[in-house]
Amino acid sequence: MRLDRLFTLAFFLGPALLIVITFFFLPLLLTVYTSFTNMRNWNVDAYLFDIVGLYNYKVLVHFAKYDPMFRNALITTVVFVAVTLVVNVLGGLTLAILTFFLEERISIHYRLLWLLPRMTPVAVYSLLWYYFFHSDAIGTLNRILLLAGVIDKPINWGSYMLPLGTWWILIFVNGLVGVSFGMIVFYSAIRSIPWEYIAAARVDGASNLVIIRRIIVPMIRWHLLFVTVWQMLSLLTTYTHIFLLYEWGVVDRTWGQTWSLLVFNLAFLPVGELRQGLAAAAATVLVVIGAILGLVTLRILGFQRMITRPRGDI
Amino acid sequence: MSGNPLEEVVSGSISRRLKIVIALALLLAGSPIILTYGLLILSSFSTNMVTDPLLTDFQPTLDNWIMFLRGQITYATGGLERNVVEMTLVTLTVAVGVALTATLVSLLAAYSISRMEFKGRGVFTAGLIMLHAFPGVALIIGVYMIFRIIGDVLGVLGEEFYAIAYIILARAALEVPMAIWLFKGFFDKIPWELEWSALVDGASRVRVWWSILVPLVKPGIAAVLIFTFLAGWEEFIYFYVFLKPFGIDSLPTFIEEIVAAAENYQLTIIAAAGTFYLLPTIVFFVLTQRLLLEAYSGGLKG
Repeated sequence: MRLDRLFTLAFFLGPALLIVITFFFLPLLLTVYTSFTNMRNWNVDAYLFDIVGLYNYKVLVHFAKYDPMFRNALITTVVFVAVTLVVNVLGGLTLAILTFFLEERISIHYRLLWLLPRMTPVAVYSLLWYYFFHSDAIGTLNRILLLAGVIDKPINWGSYMLPLGTWWILIFVNGLVGVSFGMIVFYSAIRSIPWEYIAAARVDGASNLVIIRRIIVPMIRWHLLFVTVWQMLSLLTTYTHIFLLYEWGVVDRTWGQTWSLLVFNLAFLPVGELRQGLAAAAATVLVVIGAILGLVTLRILGFQRMITRPRGDI
Repeated sequence: MSGNPLEEVVSGSISRRLKIVIALALLLAGSPIILTYGLLILSSFSTNMVTDPLLTDFQPTLDNWIMFLRGQITYATGGLERNVVEMTLVTLTVAVGVALTATLVSLLAAYSISRMEFKGRGVFTAGLIMLHAFPGVALIIGVYMIFRIIGDVLGVLGEEFYAIAYIILARAALEVPMAIWLFKGFFDKIPWELEWSALVDGASRVRVWWSILVPLVKPGIAAVLIFTFLAGWEEFIYFYVFLKPFGIDSLPTFIEEIVAAAENYQLTIIAAAGTFYLLPTIVFFVLTQRLLLEAYSGGLKG
């Protein structure tokens, strides 16, 4: 009977455990381990056991102090995460509230529209903004401004008033993908507010703004907190869109690199030396931040409430 | 209009003028999205790039599509040729593989989390959310090392079959935590009594899972299949890291490559390639609008 139960459990849980161990748990351990080795050029045979202690972390600190590439990456990360986070959370909240004020049959189209960037293949999505921010007159933004007579020759947006031009592009492109998450979560949270609250406020003569400030926002504060922490985590670790903008020269090379892209570039970019040990150390820093933010998210989600005992287990 | 009373209270009590202002403001805010997608699609049917919102450059032609589908990516004679069919098949194989793997694995695991008590159940379920929180960059270095080590041991490093199988499993893994959470929610809502009598009559849990529960969560399965398919289809980094160095082309790396060297290629053909790659997304987008909003509000992806 016991063995039977074990087999059943293995049947259901086995594949998930296997995939989680192979592709989350082991890689994470390997990355942390690699950060203590001198691994470079993916030469696993030569460097797998070449342990150098905290050397990579010291190099990281040294570079962060003196190497402009590392320093800029740190500054860009802070600005990118902070500003995009505000855009995502406030933008998502604004979209949720505004679409909520419209009838469902109209509002659904808007909510769908904002989901489109999230669903688009990264290569195509980046391609769209590649054309939009193109530095020649072919770029849509340049074309619009030329037509409107605002500028008389095309602007290279990626290097315009460095680093502002580059940051603006990174924030814009990632912000458009990010707002939809907040919008969806907030919208469903708003819809679950008991309607009597708002009806009562209406009867008392409350204006729309008062209803938003005094009822809607306070009632969804946990969702606000959750989306903020979750998005912060996503922004810290996102790099695919940024990689393409960087590769294609849409953004400036010295300012268009966030910390997570730096990790990827150090490990994989086939230019110069590939230093996986150093990249792994930089990644480990992100892992620690990710673990902390992840725990905070769990707290916010009220995890204990969600994991009640299964019913009727026999 | 069937109604959510809340919606009637709110929507019914604000003025028509305010609604029009809101609708216009939202349209304006969304215009870059409409504009860029529209221009890309139009450009793929034009002799030169359409970037002017007034569409003055638009000169209709089908040449870009013909050239792209033939794998010719430049107008110059003797220009580069690529096997578009092959790279589409590679991308499609990975997307379908990711969808099937992630859905099946999650459907199994979610059942045991929802219906069976075992040691470490709480930790495992909490751990799944934490996994989603771990940075993809931190993972990819380790994931690549495992790729090299397994490939070396088996002596199959650089072989097409191994690379594609590995990318399917590795990419599916990223979708598993959220899919398990989603299915768990579906299973939790099903009344326990439905399976109880079958279990008392002596049916095995596997049987109960397959013939009672799985049919009941069909809408959830459809949603997860679509989302995981799109996740595999839109993937870029894994194709770039695991397939490209071994000479296997896919749609995302192909687009990356031709844009990186754009001066040698016809931009409108790149627009056709981009539109082609966008097609499944648009098809699913149109076919599954409601599902899309519901699934996302269930927190399928962060």
